[in-house]
Amino acid sequence: MDNVKMGHHISGQFDKDLDDIRNKVLTMGGLVELQIENAVQAFTTGDLELAEQVIKQDKEIDAYETSIDLECTQILALRQPTAFDLRFLLSVIKIIHELQRMAHKSVRVAEMAIRLEGGERKFPRYELEHMAELVIKMLHDSLDLFARLSVEGVTAITDKDSNVDREYDNILRQLITRMMEDPRNITRTLDVLWTVRALERIGDYSCFMCEHLVYMIKGQKVRLTKGEEL
Amino acid sequence: MIKQEPLTHAINMNSYINNDFNNTDEAKEVCIQVKDLNLYYGDKQALYNVNMDILKKKVTAYIGPSGCGKSTLLRCINRMNDLVDTVRIDGEILLDNQNINDKNLNVSALRRRVGMVFQKPNPFPKTIFENVAYGLRIQGINDKRLLAETVENALRGAALWDEMKDRLNDNALGMSGGQQQRLVIARAIAIEPEVLLLDEPASALDPISTLKIEELINELKEKYTIVIVTHNMQQAARVSDYTAFMYMGELIEMGATSDLFTNPQKKQTEDYITGRYG
Repeated sequence: MDNVKMGHHISGQFDKDLDDIRNKVLTMGGLVELQIENAVQAFTTGDLELAEQVIKQDKEIDAYETSIDLECTQILALRQPTAFDLRFLLSVIKIIHELQRMAHKSVRVAEMAIRLEGGERKFPRYELEHMAELVIKMLHDSLDLFARLSVEGVTAITDKDSNVDREYDNILRQLITRMMEDPRNITRTLDVLWTVRALERIGDYSCFMCEHLVYMIKGQKVRLTKGEEL
Repeated sequence: MIKQEPLTHAINMNSYINNDFNNTDEAKEVCIQVKDLNLYYGDKQALYNVNMDILKKKVTAYIGPSGCGKSTLLRCINRMNDLVDTVRIDGEILLDNQNINDKNLNVSALRRRVGMVFQKPNPFPKTIFENVAYGLRIQGINDKRLLAETVENALRGAALWDEMKDRLNDNALGMSGGQQQRLVIARAIAIEPEVLLLDEPASALDPISTLKIEELINELKEKYTIVIVTHNMQQAARVSDYTAFMYMGELIEMGATSDLFTNPQKKQTEDYITGRYG
C-alpha cells in the first residue's frame, strides 16, 4: 500500500504522539550523521578535540534511543496499534537501534583517532574519505526515505553498499601489503583497519534500516542485503 | 558452578526447520458458503453481493462500523432475518452444500444446527439446569439421566460447571452477567450445533468475563465452527482465525486475522482498523 499517510487519526493525540516519534528519530538520525562526519574528520586530520567531542556526544544519542523506545512501548501498550501504525512503531524501534549502533561505530573511529596520535599517520586517505562519503550518503538517503515514508530509491542505497564493500576490500589489500612490508607497522595498521571496518559496518546498518523501512511501508519482510528484491 | 544445559534443547529445532511455518496441509474444509448475497429491508439494500467462505472449526470474525451489515449477515446464517417482515434475500447461503434459503427447509432444524448467542444474555426465568436442558426438552427428550449428562457436558463446555455444579437448581437470573452469558452459550451447545453465531457476545461484560468468553471461544472452536460479530477489534484479533471487514453492506476484505491486522490490502480496511477518518 503506497502513499501511506501519517495522521488523520480520529484521536488527534495519537497523531501527535506518532509525529513526535518521527521527528525524534529524524533528529537522532541527524545527530548520528554528524557524529560519523566528525569522527572521520577527527581521524583523517588528527583533531583530538573533535574526537573527544564525538565520544562525549554518544551519551546524547543513547538518551534519544532510550526515550524513543519508551515512547513506542507506551503507544503499543496504550493504543494497541494495528496495520501501518503497528509496523511504523516496530520499525522505529529497530531503526533507532541501527542508528545507535552506527553511533557506537563512530565512537570507535574517534577512539582510533586518539590512539593513532603521536605516531606516523599513514593510511589510504583518499579511499577512506571516499568510503566515509558513501556511508554518510547512504545514511542521509535512508533518513530522507524515512522522512518521506517512501521506499523509492532503497535499491540505490543498497547498491551503494557494494561500492562501500569494494572500497573496503581495496583498502584492506593496501593495509595487508603495508603490514607485510614491515611488521612494525602491524599495530598501527590494525587500528586503521578497525576504523575502516567500522565504516563498512555503518554502511550495512543503513541497509538494515532500509529493510525496516520496506517492512514499515510495504509490510514486506525483505533481505536486501542478501540480494532479495522488492 | 553447575553446568547449565542450553535452553534450546527443550525445543526440537528440526521440527521448526522442516515444517513450513504456514503449514498448508491443515484441512481447510468449507462449512458455510455465501454466494452473491444481496439483502433488502424494504427498499433499502443492506447487503451488496457478499461472497465468502467460512471454514469448518475456525473462528471467523466480522468487523466494521455500525450499520455496515455485520449482524444482518450473521443473522442470515440461521435465517433470523425471516422474522423481519420486509426483508428480501437474493443469493445463496450453503451450509454443508445445502442452500439454507430453500423454501422446503425446516427452519427449526436449521436453527438446531446453527446456534446463536446475543449481545445481552437472555436466560429463561428458570433454574440453571432447566435453562440448559430446555433445548432437549422441546425436542421431547425427558430421560433424566441423559438430561443430567448433557447439562453437565454443556456446562463444562462453557466453563461453568465448577462454579455452578452446586447451584443447578438456583434461578438463572441470579447469576452475574458473565455467568449468564456463558450459561446461554451452554444452552446453545447443549443441542450440539455445528455452527455457533455470536453477536457481540462480550460487549456487555466486564474485562475478566470478556476474557473468559474469549478463552471459551478458543476451546469451543475444537468442536464448532464459530462466527462472531464484534465491535472490539482487539477482540477480533485475539479470538479469530479469519477476519472479514465490512463497510456499507459490502465485504471489503477478508483474510487471515494475523495478515489483516498487520498488513491489510485495502485502504478502507487500514483506515478503519487504525482508527482514521473513513
